[in-house]
Amino acid sequence: MKSTYLFLYKNMLQLILGICFVSALASCRKESPQINQPERYITGSFSEAFEAYWNGMNNNYIFWDTDPTNWDEIYRKYQPIFAKMNINDSTDVRKSYTYFKEMTSTLIDSHYALRINSKYVKDSATYISPSDARHQKSPDYHGNINPNFFYSTIPPKYLDKGYVKGVVNLSATDQFFAVAGKIKGNILYLHFNEFSLNVINDSPTPNNAQKALQYYFDQVKKPEGLKGIIIDVRSNGGGYLSDLDLLVGGLTDKEFPIGATRSKIGNGRLDYTPWIPATVHPGKDAKLFTAPIIVLADLNSVSMAEMTTMALKAMPGGNVKFVGERTWGGNGPLLANNDYYNSGQFKTGFLSLVYTSSTALRYVDGKLYEGIGFPPDIEVKYNKAALDAGTDPQLEKAISLIPQ
Amino acid sequence: MTLSCILVYSYIALRIRLSGNSQMNFKYTAGLENKGLNLLNLILMKKKCLLLGLGIIAGTLTSHAQFSIGLEGGYNKNHIITNIGFRAFTKYEPLDGFNIGIPVKYDLNNWFAIQADPQYIQKSYKIVRSSYFEGINHTNKNSYIQLPVMAHFTFGGQKLKGFLNLGGYAGYWSSSRIKGTQINTFAKEYDLPDGTETPSILDGEPGYNYNEKFTFDSRRDRRIELGVLVGTGVSYQLKPRYEIFAEARYYRGLTDQQKNYMINQIPRYNDTYVIQVGCMYRLGK
Repeated sequence: MKSTYLFLYKNMLQLILGICFVSALASCRKESPQINQPERYITGSFSEAFEAYWNGMNNNYIFWDTDPTNWDEIYRKYQPIFAKMNINDSTDVRKSYTYFKEMTSTLIDSHYALRINSKYVKDSATYISPSDARHQKSPDYHGNINPNFFYSTIPPKYLDKGYVKGVVNLSATDQFFAVAGKIKGNILYLHFNEFSLNVINDSPTPNNAQKALQYYFDQVKKPEGLKGIIIDVRSNGGGYLSDLDLLVGGLTDKEFPIGATRSKIGNGRLDYTPWIPATVHPGKDAKLFTAPIIVLADLNSVSMAEMTTMALKAMPGGNVKFVGERTWGGNGPLLANNDYYNSGQFKTGFLSLVYTSSTALRYVDGKLYEGIGFPPDIEVKYNKAALDAGTDPQLEKAISLIPQ
Repeated sequence: MTLSCILVYSYIALRIRLSGNSQMNFKYTAGLENKGLNLLNLILMKKKCLLLGLGIIAGTLTSHAQFSIGLEGGYNKNHIITNIGFRAFTKYEPLDGFNIGIPVKYDLNNWFAIQADPQYIQKSYKIVRSSYFEGINHTNKNSYIQLPVMAHFTFGGQKLKGFLNLGGYAGYWSSSRIKGTQINTFAKEYDLPDGTETPSILDGEPGYNYNEKFTFDSRRDRRIELGVLVGTGVSYQLKPRYEIFAEARYYRGLTDQQKNYMINQIPRYNDTYVIQVGCMYRLGK
């Protein structure tokens, strides 16, 4: 003991220095940055508007793993620019539209859309859609096929008598329609413009769109005599994910995987959950449909329309062919509330909506088709002249693939 | 013994080098003023004295030198020091783990030793969600291979002694296992009677349960960890060569678990509290 005290006494300076050194080392931790929810920024300046948006994207965007955009570089380049702008100056607000467009131009999320909340940026210019801009540059770009073509041209030209069709208003700006019938007496055809099938099916008010869907589901439940099915999701903008089990689950008696999804577990760009299997569940009393199934999709088949195409192609029987064009490339499922997945859409004071996927979908082949689109087995390109003339080369190709 | 050899060898080698240097310096400074020469000689003398002192200390220490090796094991609780940012209904929780090591101690005298404990240690944590997301959780069971090196100060009686460890460590995040439950985007909702309340999402649909090996992402994960440690405990000499000990130790990670891969990155540090027991065996005479 005596020697210990002697040692401590003799080496007091070294001991104090040692304790100081260890204490200094122990405090060598980085400070945590203060990360605020994008919605909570007051947005009194462009500098704050930029911080709110940049941080929201930094923490909520789901595709940082594969996206080519260098988000740190975006910060370094645009933060000083926004810091010099005045949020109450109409010229600067219009300039900001261009900057937001530039910043987002290479994002692969093909659901992605920005809406600026300002009286100085109006009408169509309020939406910034990188995937739209990208597709419009393509020589193969075309808009949606006119809904009237599906509703009024196809039925009399290609469907047997007895087809069923109907329209129903889901809201002041949302109209659902469906067409179902048979071709050559033994090919079941279904087209609808959006995935609200459960909503229509469960509607307490009978309507013709509901009858069209009922016609299709009744036929699928008693498939005897059917030589094939054509499911037409061309120019379909997507909708509810729950429709997948209703539509695709109605054609199988066993659960099957279509890929996997993942979301975020923390705030870091690469803080992901593990990949979670994405499966189709069989419908109640559903039977396995073994005859050929043709899915028709095009460039404007987005989101659930793409996922349905991918799910049908993943059916274990190998009896599905995809005819048409490569799809849009926005197939990450999304929810309005980012609390579910720690990722997805958000708002800021300056941006009334940053619309983005909540989860990433990896297909059963291990690839991500986000920003790329799902490729057809048999490509039949959009043909405006043929459509104007009342013929449908894509549908005709689909019919030809079902042997009689 | 090895340490004393190194110290004695260093002393002799340095003396040879120093005497060589002094001759060279003398020749070089032959034309300088006396004042300069005196200063140089003073410095050289001081160096000689310092080395002589070191030699004496080395000799004193080595006369007490004892080498011990042992086995230790313990329970730990690891806290991840970070924050959840603006994520709602989410918090980090500490997790239990264990550690096992082979302590090696070199006693330089009866109150001071150098110790190193090559060891396996778990540094785990959990992310837990609450409210509507009750039941959603994610566990990271992290395994590290770690080398703590410390100064070991002993005080107290002949058989029962207290000790204090102060030092640092370097660790390698060797593997990790993740386990938990997450929301399954494609889950089939339960067929519940109309009007059934679902206070949590898992009341309405099954979550996805997983227990799998964690895949490191070289862009994000920093697998080398450096830190400091402090420990205190008691030891008891059972037999002349055997000593048992119990220790409470704190490891403070000073390196972020993540590389600097993004602006506004929230760092994550391990704080590990260990309670361990072990036994040492003295080698040599």
